[in-house]
Amino acid sequence: MRSETLKKWRRTVLAIGLASSAAMAAMVTPAFADETCMSPYMAKIVGQEDFVYVWTLGIEGVGDGQDKLVTVDVNPKSKNYGQVIHALSVGGRNEAHHSGLTDDRRYLWAGGLDTNKLWIFDVHTDPAKPRLKKVVTDFVAKSGGVVGPHTTYALPGRMMITGLSNNKDHGGRTALVEYTNEGEYVATYWMPTDENLQGAVKSGKYADGYGYDVRVLPRRNMMVTSSFTGWSNYMMDFGKMLQDKEAMKRFGNTVVIWDLHQRKPKKVLDVPGAPLEIRCAWQPTNNWCLTTTALTSKVWLIYEDDAGEWQAKDVADIGDPSKVPLPVAFSIAQDDSGFLLNTFMDGKVRYFDLSDPHKPVQKYEKVIGKQVNMISGSWDWKRQYFTSSLLANWDKKGGDGEQFFRAYDWDGEKLTKRFEIDFIEAKLGRAHQMRFGAYALYAKHRPAQQPEGSALASAE
Amino acid sequence: MLSMMSRGFLSSLLSIVVFAGTPFAETSDKPLVLAPFYTEAEFDPPPPGSYALPMLGYASDGAILNTLGRSESLHEHFGDGKVVLLSFIFSTCTDINGCPLATAVMYRIQQKLKDDPAIGERFRMISLSFDPAYDTPEVMALYGSDFSQQGDWRFLTTASWDDLQPILDSYGQSVIQDIDENGKPLPSFSHILRVFLIDPDKRIRNIYSVSFLNPDLILNDARTVLMADEPGTDRQAGLQKVSTLSKPGDYKEGYESDDYRTRSHAVELRTGQKADLLTFIENPPLGLPAVPQPENNPATPAKLELGRKLFFDRRLSLNDTFSCAMCHVPEQGFTNNELAMAVGFEGRSVRRNSSTIYNTAYFTRLFHDGREESLEQQVWGPFLAPNEMANPSVGAVISKIRRMPDYAGLFEAAFDGRGVSMETVGMALAVYQRALVSGNSPFDRWHYGGEQAALSESAKRGFEIFTGKANCSSCHTVGKGYALFTDDRLHNTGMGYRESMGIKPEKQRVLLAPGVYVEVDRETIESVGLPRPPDLGLYEITQNPHDRWKYRTPTLRNVALTAPYMHNGSLSTLRDVVEFYNNGGVPNELLDPRVRPLELSDEEIDDLVVFMRSLTGDNVDTIVADAFAAPVGDITIDDPNWAHEATAYD
Repeated sequence: MRSETLKKWRRTVLAIGLASSAAMAAMVTPAFADETCMSPYMAKIVGQEDFVYVWTLGIEGVGDGQDKLVTVDVNPKSKNYGQVIHALSVGGRNEAHHSGLTDDRRYLWAGGLDTNKLWIFDVHTDPAKPRLKKVVTDFVAKSGGVVGPHTTYALPGRMMITGLSNNKDHGGRTALVEYTNEGEYVATYWMPTDENLQGAVKSGKYADGYGYDVRVLPRRNMMVTSSFTGWSNYMMDFGKMLQDKEAMKRFGNTVVIWDLHQRKPKKVLDVPGAPLEIRCAWQPTNNWCLTTTALTSKVWLIYEDDAGEWQAKDVADIGDPSKVPLPVAFSIAQDDSGFLLNTFMDGKVRYFDLSDPHKPVQKYEKVIGKQVNMISGSWDWKRQYFTSSLLANWDKKGGDGEQFFRAYDWDGEKLTKRFEIDFIEAKLGRAHQMRFGAYALYAKHRPAQQPEGSALASAE
Repeated sequence: MLSMMSRGFLSSLLSIVVFAGTPFAETSDKPLVLAPFYTEAEFDPPPPGSYALPMLGYASDGAILNTLGRSESLHEHFGDGKVVLLSFIFSTCTDINGCPLATAVMYRIQQKLKDDPAIGERFRMISLSFDPAYDTPEVMALYGSDFSQQGDWRFLTTASWDDLQPILDSYGQSVIQDIDENGKPLPSFSHILRVFLIDPDKRIRNIYSVSFLNPDLILNDARTVLMADEPGTDRQAGLQKVSTLSKPGDYKEGYESDDYRTRSHAVELRTGQKADLLTFIENPPLGLPAVPQPENNPATPAKLELGRKLFFDRRLSLNDTFSCAMCHVPEQGFTNNELAMAVGFEGRSVRRNSSTIYNTAYFTRLFHDGREESLEQQVWGPFLAPNEMANPSVGAVISKIRRMPDYAGLFEAAFDGRGVSMETVGMALAVYQRALVSGNSPFDRWHYGGEQAALSESAKRGFEIFTGKANCSSCHTVGKGYALFTDDRLHNTGMGYRESMGIKPEKQRVLLAPGVYVEVDRETIESVGLPRPPDLGLYEITQNPHDRWKYRTPTLRNVALTAPYMHNGSLSTLRDVVEFYNNGGVPNELLDPRVRPLELSDEEIDDLVVFMRSLTGDNVDTIVADAFAAPVGDITIDDPNWAHEATAYD
């Protein structure tokens, strides 16, 4: 009797759920997922995105030389398809780097790794023309000395921000910093060090206190962070740094597993060679995340073993590690079947099959440009976008230092270019991180028809 | 009046609510993604009090209606010594991961509270509708009738959208009425599910979305909020101080080996103790002479305090990221152990290694090329260098300091009424730096103090070599009554010549991780690096060709703290330095004749290194602790001309 009741109830739930989804304008649902690299706490664009917001670094002598948020129209049905339709300069060069949307997807938070500012853009009032809502300029003072706001990651009603450095020595020891969606400081959580492990277990040889990216698996109450390097290195000329024996000792070698709810570190894992971006699996039974080490060029699996312990192991090489291809951003498929990964130095993207996450296998590679850093995939993974810039002083010099936004179609086997924008020719700067926007997210602001707009040939 | 259809729908909804949270029967069907609540939590919530829930803001007020239709304020339902769980819903919501989920979770909490009256008496739940048109007080009364009788669970609505909107805005609830493809309104709403935990003082302490709506977790949060003693002591548990202060917080010794292990210090525990540094000027430590002071700038406590504040103020650079201390890090020997050559504004390359500031009080030639003659003047070099602090002008720095509220009156108090000026800024900074004199090292106590046991036998042998066979003391001078370990002059050791003229190897050995090296092609390095700017040393100041590649003799006091070495930071260890000189430096036509092959044995090199390690002053920890106690100047909202609002950009 009880079983029958449950089944009946379950069918009702499914019917309501499906009906609800159908009623929700087809493109947008408040759900767990987003385009595959973002926080699970926000609305996602499951259909065609209208815009890509490109957080762009200013280049001295190129246009106005300032950092800016560049809006690219990427909807093939739009008259402005493939064009820059808006650019909002924010003043100065701040080492514009990463950005992230709030859980309600109404605001885009973008950080400056040099000046430690956070720009909060309103992307809902007019998704085609983001406007600046607020600038947080006192991040360092409020956080107790955290420098280099990197990842801006949505949690319910608030943002978790990873730091890269500190205001004492500009080295790599740093913290996580929590803000409300309104831009008010909440708390600082320092990365575990030998002196203050904060109850965490140092499982190997390292507890360096470095930070970089953050992701969460809420159903496992798990937060995971990676580790890069401090201000002195990420701001330094890349060629100079490679020859600086002291500087090369200052890279992160750890991944930290946190109790998400407590905001306390639980375990420090050895992942040598600067583990950068983290992508966690989407499927509800996949208790694992991936990261790649920039310097040692390996794919690392961060996984929960049968005993419930979080472990790390390197599961694949990326290209020829001896040539330091420098793996950077990657995008994981929402069914966890594979990932696309960029390597900066050779300008390639590589597809790895994840049929067995313990043994990723490379199946495809293609040169995207003379240098390539970020990749963003649509939720259905049919469209992949690429940008060129890594860091202002790490980008290639001379003719190899091209700056672009390139859009491709991905059919599961190969990439086909749709269009590209030369960010130097357009006087914009170094194209860095991308986030998506869509009218469908903000129904009441959706125009009756696609906007005419006016494409920008250069920055405002 | 409710239509029969609506009544039927509500009844159906309530049945869902009642059963929600019960585990699914096994099934092969692939369901849509559901909230973890429906499938049971996969983890045990952390115990109450084992974590902190910092305030996320104040819970706003607003005009609402209760189920009797009476107008009230939302705040009337907060307080009473209770933690409040506030959820926004609308009664016709059909999204299984939306309002029904919130209500189901709250129902589960209500059942659990029956088993724990202690928390039950201090817990209230509120469901507030965001559909004033449909959710009348009557509808809300019906919606909540089964629940409100079983505990403190209140169902509220508003009289109009005008009343509701300010509440939604203040709680960050974006609610959009859905429209169809023709722009016609649909009966459903899009919204992000958020549930708020509010403490008795009306402060928001947590916000839950779909993935966090776990009844046990919410109840533990409520218990945590209500616990009288916040878990401040827990944070200190297991905390161990592991070292003295004057060491890099990010310890990298042995990083070249796979055996390397971190011994990192915690930035958040870097606290210090203010010291009376003037005593070092007035009574220099053993081994040092009287501290010379300009007649027009005698040290005073007010000047020293002001100079210290300026030294650590990151706002004194064009983009507010650079203080003097970013390159002269106190615990790194007032230099930078982490870089061969400094990095300045916007990451721009500086050609040379950061010099230590210890004992600069005694020098008459400052910078590696000796281009300045006093500390008072020297400070303006880094302030204005485009690749250091990058300030556009003297006036810009002075004007900035004048407008910083935390400097109000400080210059006037320190300089007999004189305000901020190019001169007073230099004077204040000079006094602080002049106070960083450091002596009474083991060597001093042995050599000048007569303590035979103060120095090891190896170090004593090293001193013999230093002043004898190796003749290091011909430049790193040692006097009868004191030793500065520098002749305050400039010499050509060949290091600069090699940089300018040397041919670089085709491959560079690069350390990628502890014990992991690769050989990187020169072509690869040059593809990501700008050409190194030329550096000709003293010649750049005098334009005399004989002065090419001459650099100032550094003091060897505290040299164990100031790695890496040489003007370009190219030598990592003291042993590397001794070996460089033992090999005769780098031959060139202007090589100082005192630099010649020394033919030292390995044992003699070891002794020399041990000797140099004995030159660390006994007051460095005092000086470093004092530095740690100094405020680090970073931008706050009190500073002028900083855009905290969008208006500056509109």
